[in-house]
Amino acid sequence: MIKEVNSEEFKGLCGTGLVLADFFSTTCGPCKMLGFVLKDVEKEFGDLTILKIDFDLNKELTAEYGVTGYPTLVLLKDGTEVGRLQGLQQKPVIVRMIQDNQ
Amino acid sequence: MSVNYTFNKHLIDQQAEAEEAMLKELEAGNYTIDNPLVKYNLYLISPLTAVVCFKTEEAAAVTVTVKGKAPQGTITHTFPKATTHILPVAGLYSNYNNSVEIRLYRGASKSIEIMVPDVFEGKEVIYSMDTTPEYLQDDVILLSPAGEDLSIAFDYAGDARWHMNVPCVFDVKRLKNGNLIMGSSRIIQMPYYMSGLYEISPCGKIYKEYRVPGGYHHDEWEMEDGNLLCLTEDLRSETVEDMLVLLDRNTGEILKTWDYKVAFQKAFGDINEDSSKWFNTKGIGQSGSWSAHDWFHNNAVWYDKNTNSLTFSGRHMDAMTNLDYETGDLNWIISDPTGWPEELQEKMKKYFFTPVGNNFGWQYEQHACLITPNGDVMCFDNHHYGAKKADTEHQLLAKDNYSRGVRYKIDTDKMTIEQVWEYGKDKGAAFFSPYICNVEYYNEGHYMVHSGGIAYDADGVPSEQLGAFAGQGGGTLESITVEICDNKKQLELHVPGNYYRAEKLKLYSDGINLEMGKGQLLGAMGVTKEFETDIPMDSCGEMMPESCNARIEDEDDRFTFFSRFEKGQMVMLLLEQGEEKHRYFISTTAVSFLAMCCGTFLDSDERNTRTSINKAGMKGTYDVRVIIDDKKYETGVKITC
Repeated sequence: MIKEVNSEEFKGLCGTGLVLADFFSTTCGPCKMLGFVLKDVEKEFGDLTILKIDFDLNKELTAEYGVTGYPTLVLLKDGTEVGRLQGLQQKPVIVRMIQDNQ
Repeated sequence: MSVNYTFNKHLIDQQAEAEEAMLKELEAGNYTIDNPLVKYNLYLISPLTAVVCFKTEEAAAVTVTVKGKAPQGTITHTFPKATTHILPVAGLYSNYNNSVEIRLYRGASKSIEIMVPDVFEGKEVIYSMDTTPEYLQDDVILLSPAGEDLSIAFDYAGDARWHMNVPCVFDVKRLKNGNLIMGSSRIIQMPYYMSGLYEISPCGKIYKEYRVPGGYHHDEWEMEDGNLLCLTEDLRSETVEDMLVLLDRNTGEILKTWDYKVAFQKAFGDINEDSSKWFNTKGIGQSGSWSAHDWFHNNAVWYDKNTNSLTFSGRHMDAMTNLDYETGDLNWIISDPTGWPEELQEKMKKYFFTPVGNNFGWQYEQHACLITPNGDVMCFDNHHYGAKKADTEHQLLAKDNYSRGVRYKIDTDKMTIEQVWEYGKDKGAAFFSPYICNVEYYNEGHYMVHSGGIAYDADGVPSEQLGAFAGQGGGTLESITVEICDNKKQLELHVPGNYYRAEKLKLYSDGINLEMGKGQLLGAMGVTKEFETDIPMDSCGEMMPESCNARIEDEDDRFTFFSRFEKGQMVMLLLEQGEEKHRYFISTTAVSFLAMCCGTFLDSDERNTRTSINKAGMKGTYDVRVIIDDKKYETGVKITC
């Protein structure tokens, strides 16, 4: 599942299982490209939740997670951060991070 | 509007054409010592040189003398006996009607004039040179580029006597055969990864380009057998500036590779883990400029025959590291151990030194490590931040900082280190360079210390930004090069602009100086990293918008796509041949580089992009198309590989 969420929705969804949070900006080319990559990543994993958080509209959440730039991917397992990637990443790198934490 | 297309011949081809034309002219004419054929800047890239040709009936040695503005500025060289004389003339003055004397051994002489235009186009290239002709003699101080100012060499009087008009960046060294070795002028990836190395004559003729798949950066080294060590990386991996290759001097083939990730992992980690993953996780020994991508930032290599080992300077670990040449295993590390993980403390004891003696200071973000004949270790200690990344309490601002040349005595049995010499600390921020620079060892007590990265912001305060960025922000850049002999300053060169390194050398060598024949393109370009994810989209049939101001410069072994995009646009360059697609993502986000050792290729307009694609791995003719956000545009250009 790929879903754009606000802070409140995010907190409701991030506590169970593997959740990949994508902190993005609508004014960022690499973020747009990462959107296509994440669609491919989603196909690899049946039970992965990908939540997209607009960096500019959710400042408190980005601060809470220490996100200082975009795009930033934060992988959560049962609500706890287990992995992080900054900048545009290719699919194999993201897949590897998820597989390492399954 | 279709994209502008040009095909650029390699410099080797252009130079071969110029040389062939000159040789034809020489053969067709009756050129004697009284009527020589004179070709100014024959090889196109060295505008303070010329070639003079003529024939003599009897074989004779010939002396070429470029007359100095003062007698002490005269540069002269004698060439071996021949009947056909093709003589490089080096050391011409810019914006000057040069007088050059050609004299046959015990025979006739001829004085010719070579008018050289102002090759610096009115730009101030020097503030001062403080030395004596007795000290510098006919040596020059050659400064290699770190910014928009290209290679230049100054004589004792501060006159420019050598210059290159193409961006051959980073280190310049004299090879044993008298040729010069330096970075090529072909950038394959921003910010400064070059296609390889040029071996050139002092008059700019490229004998060989050694192409390296992962590109060249920062430094190179000639081994005793003539093979070349070249700093490189795997541009298809997730990290940069962390590998070394040994190149066959005759073929350019890679004979041996050292990957520092593997060396560190063997020493401190689990060798069964994927090295890039291990490193990104650990991030050990971080300097103030550290990033996961550029974790080591290797800016120098030195081979020591006595210990058959390689010493590397790694700016982003504040470390000089020594590896065994044969095994690649880590021998020792000179670095402040602050901030290394607790669990590695036991393993660290084997590799780290304990300071002894008084007046000791660690180096931070150093450059240009070297090993002296007695095994001491020297470097230019940039002293950037003056503390490790984790030690924020002790980090220094530029205005409170200093740089220095430093020499350490190490005992690899007791693992102790003693500081035995330093120069520059007392000059404070006026000598502070947060990046680049070098030291040279000439003899005991006789050194060069080149602080080539001094930068002030627009208000005249020592800049927190590296020179390339400070300059773009309206600041001023300087380089100060000092030579010290027995604690007495013998030379101080002060120039505007930042320069990567300084080297003292003679323009002419004891070698051949100029050989005829076409240069060689050796080695191979690597396959350019592609973007795996496809963006399913049909061409809209339109040409790229005129606002992109796009152009393609094609070459035999690669092409470069230049275009302007607005920040935030999603851009992908595509090469398409039927079902075959190659995708290259172009970032439109301003990137803040933590290391910009060479800002030569930075564009003042952040919207302008430069994307170089190697033709390696492709065959046939490809349509070039560009995706910009939700539209796929035509360029009207086909690339043949």
